[in-house]
Amino acid sequence: MRRLHAPGAGLGAAVATRSTATSHRRSEAWRAWRRFTRYRPGVAGLIVVALIGLVAIFANVLAPYSPTAVHPSMRGAGPTLAHPLGYDHVGRDILSRLIYGSRIAIVVAVLATGIAVAIGVAIGTTAGYLGGRVDAVLSRITDALMAFPILVLLIALVAVLGPSLANVILVIGTTAWASYARVVRAEVLSLREQEFVLAARATGATDRRIIWRHLVPNVVGPVIVLATLSVGNIIILEAALSFLGLGVRPPTPDWGGMLADGRAFITIYPQIVIAPGAMIAITVLAFNLLGDGLRDALDPRQRD
Amino acid sequence: MGHRRMAEGGTTRREFLARAALMALSASSVGPARAAAAQAPRRGGTMVVTGHQEISSLSPDDAGPTVHWTAVTQIHNALLELDENYALVPTLAQSYTASPDGLSYTFKLRRGVKFHDGTEFTAEDVKYTYEWYMNPANHAINANNFKDVDAVQAVDRYTVRVRMKQPNAAFPAKGASTFIVPAAYHSRVGEKGYKSAPIGTGAFRLKEWKPAEHTLVQAFDQHFRGRPYLDFFRVDIVPEASVRAIGLQTGTSDSAVWPLLVEDNLRLAKDPNFTTFVTVTTGVNHFPINNKRPIFADKRVRQAMMHAINRQRLIDDIFKGTAVIATSHLSPAFKTYYEPNVTKYPYDPAKARALLDEAGWKPGSDGVREKDGVRLSFTCVTITGDQARRPEAEVAQQDLKAVGIEMKLAEAPVATITEKMHKGEMDASLFNWTYGGGGGDPDPSVTLRSNGGNNWSHYENPKVDSLIDAGLREPDPKKRRPIYSEIQKIVAEDVPFLYIMYWNWYTIFTKRIKGLPKSAFNGPQLYRKAYQWWIG
Amino acid sequence: MWRYVATRLLQGAAVIFLVATATFLILRLTPGNPIDVLVGEAEVTPEQVAGIKQLWGLDRPWYEQYLTWLGNMARGNFGVSVIRTGVPVGTMLAQAAPVTITLNIAALVASVAIAIPVGILAGIRRYSALDYLGTVGATLGVALPSFWVSLMAIILFAVKLRWLPPFGLHSWSGYILPAAVLATEQTAVLTRMMRGSVASVLHQDYVRTGRAKGLPEAAVVLRHAVRNALLPVITVLGYRMAFLLSGTIIVETVFALPGIGRLLTDSVYHLDYQVVQAIALLLAVIVVVANIATDLVYALVDPRIRIG
Repeated sequence: MRRLHAPGAGLGAAVATRSTATSHRRSEAWRAWRRFTRYRPGVAGLIVVALIGLVAIFANVLAPYSPTAVHPSMRGAGPTLAHPLGYDHVGRDILSRLIYGSRIAIVVAVLATGIAVAIGVAIGTTAGYLGGRVDAVLSRITDALMAFPILVLLIALVAVLGPSLANVILVIGTTAWASYARVVRAEVLSLREQEFVLAARATGATDRRIIWRHLVPNVVGPVIVLATLSVGNIIILEAALSFLGLGVRPPTPDWGGMLADGRAFITIYPQIVIAPGAMIAITVLAFNLLGDGLRDALDPRQRD
Repeated sequence: MGHRRMAEGGTTRREFLARAALMALSASSVGPARAAAAQAPRRGGTMVVTGHQEISSLSPDDAGPTVHWTAVTQIHNALLELDENYALVPTLAQSYTASPDGLSYTFKLRRGVKFHDGTEFTAEDVKYTYEWYMNPANHAINANNFKDVDAVQAVDRYTVRVRMKQPNAAFPAKGASTFIVPAAYHSRVGEKGYKSAPIGTGAFRLKEWKPAEHTLVQAFDQHFRGRPYLDFFRVDIVPEASVRAIGLQTGTSDSAVWPLLVEDNLRLAKDPNFTTFVTVTTGVNHFPINNKRPIFADKRVRQAMMHAINRQRLIDDIFKGTAVIATSHLSPAFKTYYEPNVTKYPYDPAKARALLDEAGWKPGSDGVREKDGVRLSFTCVTITGDQARRPEAEVAQQDLKAVGIEMKLAEAPVATITEKMHKGEMDASLFNWTYGGGGGDPDPSVTLRSNGGNNWSHYENPKVDSLIDAGLREPDPKKRRPIYSEIQKIVAEDVPFLYIMYWNWYTIFTKRIKGLPKSAFNGPQLYRKAYQWWIG
Repeated sequence: MWRYVATRLLQGAAVIFLVATATFLILRLTPGNPIDVLVGEAEVTPEQVAGIKQLWGLDRPWYEQYLTWLGNMARGNFGVSVIRTGVPVGTMLAQAAPVTITLNIAALVASVAIAIPVGILAGIRRYSALDYLGTVGATLGVALPSFWVSLMAIILFAVKLRWLPPFGLHSWSGYILPAAVLATEQTAVLTRMMRGSVASVLHQDYVRTGRAKGLPEAAVVLRHAVRNALLPVITVLGYRMAFLLSGTIIVETVFALPGIGRLLTDSVYHLDYQVVQAIALLLAVIVVVANIATDLVYALVDPRIRIG
């Protein structure tokens, strides 16, 4: 199983703008955009991510064949003009499966990341802001999740829930939030001592208001960066789930499942693994570059 | 991610005892290795074979997969042993006789046989071993081999008589082929101590046992068939099929006891650097389907599914032609009892549709058939990581869809599948299993009888039950044959499970292993002959 | 400070208890049982299976099994494996752990040796060719499936060049390929972390002060930037302990190494309860200790975080 790489390094630098004045937002956003466009690889990443999104949306138009159609006697056959990426171990067109597979990749990456971020931000902010007992309890729950052998949990979930797209998203989302919670908590811990929070508290703002109006907007920056950086890991985690049988149900094609299926055949039909492997690598790279660009753009210490 | 007991070949000890050859009926060993057979035997060296899964115990009572058996069989012997030609050969017994009424078996034992600790093998060891397995307090997995045994008598030092409560024609193949342990040693250390330090009469004695890594056995100088040529025989555990193939290619190993990928098998079989035996499994590759589920209750639905699946295409496309279409539960490898004249189910989607229409299942709005508001839809759960069989399920899924049957696919660990199938909580699965033929006997009482412990499909047919009982009570093979033919015909008509194909089993050796038999009906049984091999 | 440590240790014990109990419950909730696997394709009657279940105490209600297990744990007894028919789990762990530990230490040393200098250079020379190369390399290192890297390594070094054995541990050279593969991924992650860390530290005041004082650039980088940049990397390494085991599973499987990762997967698939529970517990202890240590380092270094 691949691990989620624990992000965190360099995030101290990615602390978003601390300004709460709305009037500054627009120009601040504009400056961030200009900083972003200056980092070419980041722009390239954005373009690739957008392209993959378009492929996913128009998969049914772009795919030359049905992704589930079995071409007789073509198990593992190599590339031809009509089938530029060859056939898989069942005799299906790899290119078509790859194109349709982008849908699952994008849906899983976006939704699972969304769930993980939502849980992570909620727990991290609450723990960091309230501190004390609440912090201790929430932090220990986070610890417990990180200390838990995820493999055991996943296999149990396979057996109990059964595999489906919704379950894949749910499982990843609810197990991947711990690192977000850690990072957000650390940010909030330092934020809550800052002047604007102290000022808000002095004017009698409620905890809920402080959390929503002052803390959450300020951790959005680092969280966005963290999310783009770990989207790749989520795609890889989805591939790992396929190994465990908790992938998307066949015949629906997805990159992780294709990768898992091809494992046994690497020495014989390398194209089965290379095609989805390359797509995952490209997507992960694109998201990482996008994340790097965002980090630079959202870091106020970077000079224009 | 490794393959579990039922994964890949689906072979465990039982099936192992029951493999035979189809191709071997004519010729067997492929490649020019034969020419070297004239070379004189040489002593020395280590033979390395690779298996897929850890050897979790070395007791003959622990039903491990093929890999486990390959090590245990070097250490132990039985009164009768199946050989690679699928014949039951007296081994620790010199000869045996059965009474005409089938109520007693008398074994004359070989004299001068030594256990690894130097003690002599006698009738007391046989009596002790059999009684130990039979004793319910020991919860022996082998207990069922001694079903219907009344008493075991040591008539004299070299004669054993087994008295039966009622005739059980399967006893020679099952009970008498159970490995013998030394009475004095086993009773002293207990089964628990024996598992890690076994002592047998085999050609090799245990040297080192690291369950997940390797098991090393060493030549036994006083073996009754003479000291083996090999100094050592080692089983290495290599979970990945492609890595086992690489092991053969690089000469790191000399043989693989668990299947490689079909493509690797075909490639190495053609390679002059290897000696390959191609045989057919006695187990059948099949979709067990829960007959208790209302949607499968109607025989016509099950027959329609057989017609809907293009089995030849599955064999050609997924297994590169290395399998034979199944005709019932029993494989042609089991030639004495195989019945070819049964109801056949050629690929015929039109017929499948007609049968489903007739049974009242009409196409619904989404193409899936319906009857009284119930959709003709079920879930087939394959073994997690089963790279050999999942593609098979994926293609069958398309075939079934074409006639309006929805088969959803899922995966689960073996431990989950077996329990849920036993309890009838699962619609269907896909694996290989032996339905009769275990130990060289056609008796399917565990798998096809309505109360069978491994009746995966929850099949119930009183006619089959009574035929199974009649077959066991009949000691005369000539009179048994029509009984088992009848069972095969009924099974082919009832289709209790979707029998798909019998796999070819490739047993491959590097060319440096000499002294191999000229041909084999049964690949895995070959490893019993390691005492005859040498490194050239 | 000491009170904080004591509190954290107590809380850590609670976390371990939580993980152990959750593992126990989840395993019992999972449908299936190890006896079916143990019996395999042997011809047994349902009564026999019931008898064997009883023999292993698996017929008792889960709360009884749980209490027995807790009692055993309290006495330092990890129980026995059903699949290995009675071998103590402690013995199994003692056989498997050295393999995994050796593998991880070798991989860690190799990856730190490569990742730290490359990460520093990439961090200083951001947006240079070296940086891009590092980013692409690191991404590939993370994104390439390790089973693919493993098999390619076997084909190159064992089949084509014949320098190293393809699998097994019959000599120490059996560790080289798997450790290298494991290091590939680790190096990729570490390089990226180091780069980010150095890049952000370079903007800090003390680095600018150093430059302003007219110190040579190399001295600034080495004395101030790198030292400070290493801290987050080390702490993140601490957190990564949780992922230690999962990373070795594939490598242990492909290279046929009898380590903890493979033992865990096999045991989970076979529902060998006691083995899984023992490994989960052990892992939880490692992670909790590493977390406490990491938090302490964080607290000592970062004045923004107050403890106590």
